[in-house]
Amino acid sequence: MSKIIGIDLGTTNSAVAVVIAGQPEILENAEGNRTTPSIAAINKTNERLVGLLAKRQAVTNPKNTIFSVKRLIGRKFSDPEVQLDKKWLPYEIQASANGGVEVKMGDKWYSPEAISAMTLAKLKADAEAKLGEKIEEAVITVPAYFDDSQRQATKNAGEIAGLKVRRIINEPTAAALAYGLDKQKNEKIVVYDFGGGTFDISVLEVSSDTVEVKGTGGDTHLGGDDFDKRINEYLANEYKKQEGIDISKDSLALQRLKEAAEKAKHELSSAVETEINLPYITSDAAGPKHFLMKMTRAKLEELVKDMIDKSIELTKKTVKDAGFDLKDIDEIVLVGGQTRMPAIQNAVKNAFGKEPHKGINPDEVVALGAATQGGILQGDIKDVLLLDVTPLSLGIETLGGVSTKLIEKNTTVPTAKSQVFSTASDSQTSVEIHVLQGEREMAADNKTLARFVLDGIPPAPRGIPQIEVSFDIDANGIVNVSAKDKASGKTQSVKIEASTNLSKAEIEKLKQDAAQHSEEDKKKKELAEARNNAENLIYVSEKSLREAGDKISQDIKDAVNKKIEGLKSVKDGSDSQAIRSAIADLSAEIQKIGQEMYKNQPAGEPKQEPNQEPNQEPKQ
Amino acid sequence: MEENNQINNEGELNEKIAKLEKEKEDYLNGWKRAKADYINYQKDEMKRFTEAIKYGNLELIKELLPVLDSFELSYATMNAADEKTKKGFEIIHSQLEKVLSQNGLEKIKSIGEKFNPEIHESIGEVESDKEPETIVEEIVKGWKLHEKIIRPAKVKVAKQK
Repeated sequence: MSKIIGIDLGTTNSAVAVVIAGQPEILENAEGNRTTPSIAAINKTNERLVGLLAKRQAVTNPKNTIFSVKRLIGRKFSDPEVQLDKKWLPYEIQASANGGVEVKMGDKWYSPEAISAMTLAKLKADAEAKLGEKIEEAVITVPAYFDDSQRQATKNAGEIAGLKVRRIINEPTAAALAYGLDKQKNEKIVVYDFGGGTFDISVLEVSSDTVEVKGTGGDTHLGGDDFDKRINEYLANEYKKQEGIDISKDSLALQRLKEAAEKAKHELSSAVETEINLPYITSDAAGPKHFLMKMTRAKLEELVKDMIDKSIELTKKTVKDAGFDLKDIDEIVLVGGQTRMPAIQNAVKNAFGKEPHKGINPDEVVALGAATQGGILQGDIKDVLLLDVTPLSLGIETLGGVSTKLIEKNTTVPTAKSQVFSTASDSQTSVEIHVLQGEREMAADNKTLARFVLDGIPPAPRGIPQIEVSFDIDANGIVNVSAKDKASGKTQSVKIEASTNLSKAEIEKLKQDAAQHSEEDKKKKELAEARNNAENLIYVSEKSLREAGDKISQDIKDAVNKKIEGLKSVKDGSDSQAIRSAIADLSAEIQKIGQEMYKNQPAGEPKQEPNQEPNQEPKQ
Repeated sequence: MEENNQINNEGELNEKIAKLEKEKEDYLNGWKRAKADYINYQKDEMKRFTEAIKYGNLELIKELLPVLDSFELSYATMNAADEKTKKGFEIIHSQLEKVLSQNGLEKIKSIGEKFNPEIHESIGEVESDKEPETIVEEIVKGWKLHEKIIRPAKVKVAKQK
């Protein structure tokens, strides 16, 4: 069975997504973009263009470039909306034989569904190219206010494009689905959709297994493009005021201004001030003129305040008309690129007294929701296939009481991981494996899941034995921990069944604990590491002294011994800085052993063989 | 009576087998799909990784284009009398272009070419003797990074007088 794609067939732009490995993902089009302009055209040489290519020639081919056809689909020619749109749309529109609408492109008349089908066919072909498999079925979204005729026409458009339309779903429902809100029972959801050219508001009610539309509202001629226009006008006017030059007739200046205005709008979503910098924008008798202006977020908000206020008024009205109070609303979802603007997010938050959902890319959320619906229809997103994650990290205690994590929190299970550790002292024949759960740096602060001993390790200098510790978590959260001495092959293991028997609240508490103590834990870990390094260095120094024997002078031996004593005296204290400086002192001192030994070698004689002793660094 | 019971049991058994077979089929399909998804994801990831390296500079270069525009505009308005400074500008300009072209940036041809929406964007028409759809004026330079159009050339095309 081929995959069911989800399509957001928008007024200005469309997007397509599909469920991959249980997650909905946007599919890029042939041009490498995540959205495709909903535009079709016939150029002067009678070629058909769809998407970005159609958009790029729209200015010089306005009569044969069809955009915003979603405003016409499934409507009667006599509809007041059609009559209104007919006035400003640059292409020809007439009544069809059955009272519907037809648009002229090239020398032929097309139904709006045939035009939409061209966009859908491109989305389908690009999705097939991206996925490398045939696509036959789709879920397509429509505005909640679409009537039966508009829905049927959209479905027909899909069929014309060669897609079996498995379901037509509402855009706000798709958005709620993308956020997983369909699983919340008995909730009231408001979807605030501020797109490029239209503003839609929908009130949904989720009951046991249906999502019901309780009310719709908005303004079909209000959108982010109006914001861009405002900024453009403002900048051109300001320039005229400052320099007395009108740049609205200069096509290069206008192009540069338009790009800069859009960039400024985007930047002001994250910064509170931006600079519009267009050198050599124009020139007069006195020479070249530059455009350099600071724009603040406050100024931008002032410019578009009336439009934001209007959207909030419409929102309140729609909620009221649906028979609810603003405080009855449980969830608010933001859709459409313009909702990235902080002023809009705040206005919505203030109106409802609640934080709206905004984590998913607002340009893509509808297509992702449609793909999720496709996945459900396909049976891809089934509870049986939902995989768990380990809520907390798992690890073992290592030298100095440090908790060494083997499996990090949020790892998807089933999973397995192993790491090789070694012994801490010479001739150590057994190791204790202390299995820990939690995020804290020190073993003592984490939860003990199990302890077991692996013995029978052949005696060897510290750091030489190789003990492989493996963690294995199955799909049910059962953890198997085993330790194996690679030399003798001896193995010990333990099975922990109750590792995930923590409630959500307990897990949250543990995570918060870790966050609160992170600073202090880091210090403790540093101290433990400093002590480990100190012990290691003392061991190495004493060994070097023994091996050097009488090849070095008593003076050097005394000096090194003094530093060793110095380090020993601070290493068990709690001042990691003091330990580190004592380590540095001793490190510098022991170099003298080597220097002295080389110095004592008669010149011209071949140098001694390098030290053949195995590396004494502990493995872990 | 006993026979009846047996048949019943057999019927139940068959039902159970059918149910289990269906379940097995579902699980197996789900497993295959998950495995295929994973393998495809890996391939995709590899492709994305290669792309990410190839187009790692894309955003930076995109941001540099307006700077390059300004630079060229400034050169165009320069006083012809100031030969030496002008020469200096030319050298800096070719230095900059060299760095960008070494990183895969390529200028899109426009004037005199036939309008092609894959690489050009029309922003107006000009009456001309040239064949319709021929590009007669370039307003904003277009650029291509490897195979990707990062900015189409914004142009005016010929229209019959």
